[in-house]
This record gives sequence, structure tokens and C-alpha cells, in this order.
Amino acid sequence: MIWILFVLIFWGAMWAVNVRLAAGPQTQLTKILVPTLFGITLLVLWEGLVRGFSISPILLPPPSMIAQRFATSLPILWEDFVQTFIKGALSGYFIGCSAAFLTAIAVDRSDFLKRGLLPIGNFVAALPIIGMAPILVMWFGFDWQSKAAVVVIMVFFPMLVNTVAGLNAKDKFQDDLMKTYAASYWQNLLKLKLPAAMPFIFNGLKICTTLALIGAIVAEFFGSPIRGMGFRISTEVGRLSLDMVWAEITVAALAGSAFYGTMALIEKAVTFWHPSQRN
Amino acid sequence: MKNLIKGAIASAFLFGASAAQAADDVTLQLKWVTQAQFAGYYVALDKGFYEEEGLNVTIKPGGPDIAPAQVIAGGGADVVLDWMPSALASREKGLDLVNIAQPFKSSGMMLTCRKDAGVETPADFADKTLGVWFFGNEYPFLSWMNKLGLKTDGSDGGVTVLKQGFNVDPILQGQAACVSTMTYNEYWQIIDAGLTPEELVVFKYEDEGVSTLEDGMYVLGENLKDEAFKDKMVRFVRASMKGWKYAEENPDEAADIVLDNDASGAQTEKHQRRMMSEVAKLTAGSNGALDVADYERTVQSLLEGGSDPVITKAPEGAWTHEITDAALN
Repeated sequence: MIWILFVLIFWGAMWAVNVRLAAGPQTQLTKILVPTLFGITLLVLWEGLVRGFSISPILLPPPSMIAQRFATSLPILWEDFVQTFIKGALSGYFIGCSAAFLTAIAVDRSDFLKRGLLPIGNFVAALPIIGMAPILVMWFGFDWQSKAAVVVIMVFFPMLVNTVAGLNAKDKFQDDLMKTYAASYWQNLLKLKLPAAMPFIFNGLKICTTLALIGAIVAEFFGSPIRGMGFRISTEVGRLSLDMVWAEITVAALAGSAFYGTMALIEKAVTFWHPSQRN
Repeated sequence: MKNLIKGAIASAFLFGASAAQAADDVTLQLKWVTQAQFAGYYVALDKGFYEEEGLNVTIKPGGPDIAPAQVIAGGGADVVLDWMPSALASREKGLDLVNIAQPFKSSGMMLTCRKDAGVETPADFADKTLGVWFFGNEYPFLSWMNKLGLKTDGSDGGVTVLKQGFNVDPILQGQAACVSTMTYNEYWQIIDAGLTPEELVVFKYEDEGVSTLEDGMYVLGENLKDEAFKDKMVRFVRASMKGWKYAEENPDEAADIVLDNDASGAQTEKHQRRMMSEVAKLTAGSNGALDVADYERTVQSLLEGGSDPVITKAPEGAWTHEITDAALN
């Protein structure tokens, strides 16, 4: 009871603080402080309600228990991170996105390929992952290669469609200007089409960061060596170690956000000229 | 139209009549999908054994993503079927699971190996790849490997462990030398896929002296303090065991009842009849009451885990004869 009371008071107090901060002058500090207080309040609410209603840790462990498990299992979490994120997701992301990029350039060059390849890309994207994953495990074995293959299938289509759209993003006058310069195909591609396509390409790259992580984790449910984030999550649920499951979820969330953030930073540097990036 | 209305009125009366008897609701969570492994319960339902005891039983099928212990913790079932290693491990995690009946006397778990992968005896496991189920089903395997002194972390001289999906592909593809199988299910999938019994070596956990108790009925300890719940369970266990004994004597009929209840339509008659005859061998030695010697053996094998035992101390109050004593008199 005391926990619930404390939580309610804490919630009200933090709410009041945030309202006052938001009403006051906007500085760099308040910009960071408001969301931080909000996040802390959520965690305190979670902790207090779980304790206050004495909810079994099998159903929902409190954040303190998850943090403790996180801190004591760092070697395992790191091993799983390397297996799933670095080996499975990143390599699949790299292969899938580069393949889609090259395909998009080919598609843009040839109308024949556009009419032939785009429907196939569409078809592959519509394949359900839980149908493909067991088959790819059969083909590529139990280790990370099959997970990378799942990721390739998942990221290929969004990347392809975005890049193809990007390559058409230049406007007519720019095209005419390049013609008056007598630009060759390659000059046209490198100096006009690709730069104009960059906002679209980065859109695709950003969407694919989260798809890659999801694909790599889910693919491990269908057979894996005894390490990896997906393996750990499915196994520890069966063992009722929900604190470990949440620790893995934390790792996945952190890795996913960092991956997305990195892409956003690169985008900022590459497409500094675009109206959406100007301040 | 008239008949329809008559029928509706009649069924309304019937429904009223059965409601008047106030049948007690019991929800049973299976450990796996509807198949002859659970024939006893489906027979008891279909033959009206539960109804005779004044019970209204709902059977929930399980699956690869359903942990019975978690279902009962969340209040989704009154009774769950689970393997004892997993139940005792959950117990140590703070979930008060109590075994009230043990219809499976023997273990049906095996490791099935290809002869051409060079496995003849357990001594040949070293440096081989073995397929294992996880999700709470890995404990018997881990304690066996501990007993053999083989490390499972992939280091030299130990074994490489694969998390196998719930099929037998790894052995068919040659990705693993051995895979986990049940006498009544996956073993026959390998045979159906074209490998002959002569090409295979099987190691039954039962024969290797490392068997642990499988499908048992578990309830929450706190519920057992309630007399009404206890009475319900006594009737449930009595009717279920009647179902099991009926299934043992009439395996083909039992298999057909299971097929009728398989909402997924995924099971075949041939496979279910074969499964029922194999399952009957495992339930044959049990009248429903837990054999304390079997329990002690299971606990002992789980405790002997070397550096990483499945449970760290002998559980207390993990089983009771109270229900079966009252049910089977």
C-alpha cells in the first residue's frame, strides 16, 4: 500500500515539475530534462506498482530486478549481441541494402528490368518471415548465416522501392540542364540522380535498421546455436527467467536505437543541402 | 422453422438443466498441441467421464510458444501438464507448482543418432553436434551430459548443442549427429522421412538411467488450501485416469477421439494410432499416483548438475498424494 501511495505522489510531483518546466523558458537544459524526468517517472511507476500489487516476477519483473540481471549477465549479453546483431543483423543489412541499391540502379537504367524485377521484389517482400525462416535455416545451417539470409529478404524490398523512387526524384529542369552539358549516363547518375536520391535512400536505410534487428531475432526462434538474443529470449521464457528476457529486450532496444541514430547522423552529414536538414 | 424453434427451446432447457447441476469449471492447459500424448483427457471428455463427475472441462492445446507454468501463473488454467524438471525449475523461480498426479510412469525421451555419423555409444558423443529442444525441455539433456562429464558450451572435448526446431530436419540434413526425439512422435517422423531403424541408434533416457518424470498434473499450491478446489481436483484426477485406462485398452478408438478434437486438422490417423500405442506403454505402469521413488530419482538427477545444476536444492512440498489418495480409493 505504501508503495502505491508513494508512486502516486511521485507521479503527481514529477508531472507538476514537468508542467512548470514546459511553461518556463526553453533552454538546452529543459529540452533534456523534460523527457528524462518522464522516463524516470515511468520506471518508478513500474517498479512501485509491481511491488505495491506484489505481482509475480514471472509475469512482470520490476526494473530494479532487470537492471540487476543486466549487470550480472554482461558476458552472456555481449555474446548474444555479437551473435545476433553484429553477425546476423549487420551482415544481412549490409548485403541486403547493397544488393537492393545495385538492383535499383539497374532497374532505373532498364525498363525491361523495371517491369521484371520490381514485381519479384514485391513478391519476395510478401513472403511471411515465419514461413521463410525455417526453410532458410534448412538451407544455410543453424549459425548466423541463415539469420543474415532472413535479414536480407526482409530489408531488400523497402530499400529497393525507396532507391528506385529516389532515382526519379530529380526534376525536369535539372535533367534538361545535364542534357545541355552533354553529360554521359554515368555523369548524370553520379552528379544528379544519386545526390537527388539521397533523402530517399536514407529513408530506406533507416527503415531497414529496425527490420534487420527484428528479422535476426525472430529467425533464431526456428533453430540456432545456443547463443543469440532470439535464442536467449525464447529459452528464458520457457525457464520463467523473465528478468533475463527483459535484459535482452533492453539490449535490443539500445542496439536498435543506436543503429537508427547512427544512420540518422550519417544522413545529416550527407544530405546537409536538403531543406529538411537545414536549421 | 418450427423444428428449429423446438430444438432451440429443448436445448435451452437442456442447458438450463445442466447449469442447474452446477457443473464445476476446470481448465486444463496441455504441454503441446492436440495429439495422442494427451489421449486420456480427450477420452474422458468425449466419453463423458468428466460430466459424470460433475465437471465442465475445457482443454487448451499448447504449442511451441506456450509455457504451461506461465499460463497457470497468469490464471489461464486450473491444472497444467508439465514435465517435472521444468516444473521444479519453475518452483525454484518462485512459482508454487504442486504435482497432484502422475499418469506417465516412464519417460519417452530419446536421443536418436545416425550410425553413419559415427555414434555407437554415449562415449562417442564428444565433439559431435547434438540437437536439443529448449523452452524448458532441455533440463533432462543437460543433466545427462553432466553425468557423462561432457561440457555443453562448445569447448573442446564437449558436445556442440543445437537448438533444434520442433522437427527432425537436422538429422535428415546431417547438420547434427543426433536429435532429441520422443518414442511416440519424432522418432516416427524420422522413419517416415525415409531413414530405416537399422541406420539409427537410439539412446532412451529410461535405459541410460537418466530419465526424469514427464507429463504430470500440476496445480498452484495456494489453490490446494481450498477444500472446494481440492474436491474438484479429486474428481478431475479420477475421471482423467479413467480416461487414460480406457485409452490404453482401446488405443485405436482413443486415437480417433483425439483426431476428432484436433481443431487444427494437422494430425493424421496413422500417426496418431501409432503414437497412442507408444504412449500406452509409458502410462501403463501408473494408476495416477506419483511414485515417490521416481520423484526422488528425478530430483537427484536434477541436483547433480555439476557447475550448473537445474535446481540448487531439494524442493519441499512439490508433490502431494492427497488428491490421488482420495481419487483412487
